[in-house]
Amino acid sequence: MKKLKRITAVGLSVILAASLAACGGSDGKEDTKESGKAKGTTITFWNSFTGADGDMLVEMVDKFNKENKDGITVDMDISADFDSQLSTAFAAGEGPTMMLSSSAYRFTYGDYLQDVSDVFDKTDLDKADFIQSYLDYCSDGDSLYFVPFQIVGYYMYWNKDLFEAAGLDPDTPPATWNEWQEWAGKLTDESKNVYGSGISYDYAYQIAHIMQRFGGLAVTDDNGKWKANFAGNAGYEKFLNMYKAMADKGDNPVEADTDSMASAGQIGMTAGGPWVTAGLDTAGVNYGIGLIPQGDAGDMNSVEVIGFAITTAASDEEKEAAYKFIEWWNTENDDGSSPALEWSLTNGFPAYTYSVQDKDEYKENEKLSVMSSADPEAPTDFITDSNFPGINAVLTDVIPEMINAVAFGNASVDAALEKAQSSADKIVEDYNK
Amino acid sequence: MERVRKYWNKPSRSAYVFVAPSIILLILFSVIPLIMAFGLSFFDVPITMNTAKFIGWNNFVEAFHDSRFLNSLKVTAIFTGLEVPIQVLGSLIVAALISKNNKRNKFLRAVYFLPVICSATVIGIMWRMILHSNIGFITAAMQSMGLGKINFMNTPGLTIYVVSFISIWRSFGISAIIYVTAIQQVSPSLFEAAEMDGAGKIRQFIHITVPSIQPTFWYILMTRFAGALQIFDIIYVTTNGGPNYTTESTVSYIYSRAFSSNSSMGYASAMSVVLFIIIMFITVLMYHRMNKEE
Repeated sequence: MKKLKRITAVGLSVILAASLAACGGSDGKEDTKESGKAKGTTITFWNSFTGADGDMLVEMVDKFNKENKDGITVDMDISADFDSQLSTAFAAGEGPTMMLSSSAYRFTYGDYLQDVSDVFDKTDLDKADFIQSYLDYCSDGDSLYFVPFQIVGYYMYWNKDLFEAAGLDPDTPPATWNEWQEWAGKLTDESKNVYGSGISYDYAYQIAHIMQRFGGLAVTDDNGKWKANFAGNAGYEKFLNMYKAMADKGDNPVEADTDSMASAGQIGMTAGGPWVTAGLDTAGVNYGIGLIPQGDAGDMNSVEVIGFAITTAASDEEKEAAYKFIEWWNTENDDGSSPALEWSLTNGFPAYTYSVQDKDEYKENEKLSVMSSADPEAPTDFITDSNFPGINAVLTDVIPEMINAVAFGNASVDAALEKAQSSADKIVEDYNK
Repeated sequence: MERVRKYWNKPSRSAYVFVAPSIILLILFSVIPLIMAFGLSFFDVPITMNTAKFIGWNNFVEAFHDSRFLNSLKVTAIFTGLEVPIQVLGSLIVAALISKNNKRNKFLRAVYFLPVICSATVIGIMWRMILHSNIGFITAAMQSMGLGKINFMNTPGLTIYVVSFISIWRSFGISAIIYVTAIQQVSPSLFEAAEMDGAGKIRQFIHITVPSIQPTFWYILMTRFAGALQIFDIIYVTTNGGPNYTTESTVSYIYSRAFSSNSSMGYASAMSVVLFIIIMFITVLMYHRMNKEE
């Protein structure tokens, strides 16, 4: 009788446990989460975070390796020569399980990346929590190739002390590019080596972020064909004329390294990524941060999305283990914090999830609040349509040639734009074939 | 086994065993990549090398129509023209002055050699900061002396000289030390005899030192030539080819075409082959001249 009771009790517990599992498993995630395939798996993780943020990444990965209950080990390799490392590995039929890179890498290494759109089915990550425009940036059709990790936008920084010295309101940055140019003149003080504007001729990303506010995207989709938009682009022409005028007048230095000058308190206004704040903070510069003034091209939130990608070198077990890491990165712990939140707060990069943006610590951070104040629904395309595979060629060849020609007086603005059009046409032609 | 041992134990054959490791490494890391680069130059190959389309001489034709490649050849020629004579002759003169083994010369040799052991990255960043147009120490010092504001790193026409100076400063020590070693091997009796005949230091240098160290001179000349034609690291960390591509050397351009996201391995290989032919041609000419003089 006792035996029967025990069997009945065990049987009931099994049924109860099974029914509880069934209640929680209505979303179909249970199979994978409980599959345990990832247990004890070691995955390789490559990236190029060689700076101070790399040290933090090492700490975070160590933390995951210690904390995770599945015995997953993430073996991270940070390389300054990430591109060469990746290309030679892929060429040899190898590669990491997971990597961190710009989502634009899908155009170069697309054949070696796995679709990760099932990450939201196979983990507890909520797709609705991710800002959709950033996910779109990492997608090609229905396929998602990157899970956002870091949003790199460009922002305006202004030196409040220099504003005050020039008789400008230190709390009011320029709202238009006309104001930028006009105020650059007021801020410039040759006797103190101070320049009002800090736009570098050797910083294609900075130039691109600014010029697209003047003249929109450099390459767009024209009824299924890519089209370059340099020649005759009134916005680009206006930007180049403004740059040239400021450089000729001495209000903008003809200098490649303007970030160091901003840190030295010799630049009134500049545009750059979140990393600029590190130099300004270290140097004790009294600065303000805001969104880059909009130009004639209208509202935009141009960004570059850095994300986690899983390569084709990863087995199913390794992919699942990588998902566990991505899930951990974006999951709150008991203290209400998460690696993603810590990363944003420490490194000053805006969050890509609403849940992190809603955190009090995040809202209280003035810089992050400003960075997140851009309209998330505004187009996030950066300089070209986000699906144009030749974006890197535009950034590394076309824009540098154009701005150099103007900066050093080799060509008129019109001629520089014509040349840029012809170079861009060649790139576009390759992808239109 | 015994037969194999006996076979290789003969002096004429054992030499091959000793050189085998070097030969294997040479084949693996120099000969095979070289042959592959030749092969790749006839293909359209992406960075991942997962596809290859034979395109014949197209990469070469494109290279000779590519203004950036032609400009990079010009930049490399200017750089070589500046670096090699200063390096080869300047370090010879300095070596002659510090060749005697006394405390002062030993200290100076160490000073000259110091940049050689520093990484190009450190040197590049250091000079970039020292010569910065606005916050550079030298720029500020010159400005305070009333010499005006010189934009060393961002002036087309000037920056190539600055980069050449940095490169010479960096590798000057190694050439000088090699010369010092060679000069110290010259028999002192030759100098004593010349002195007895009334020859001054300059005549001794021209008529004894220089002819005695000719093999070293040719060695430095050839290695510096080949090195200058392949200049990359200092440019990469100081100017990255700017301003306006006036310091973009051929290897810098090849690197950007091979490993940037806009990569084209076939095209980069074709440009490498062109550079290889130029270097080989010059080296063979110099080698021929050296043999003739000897």
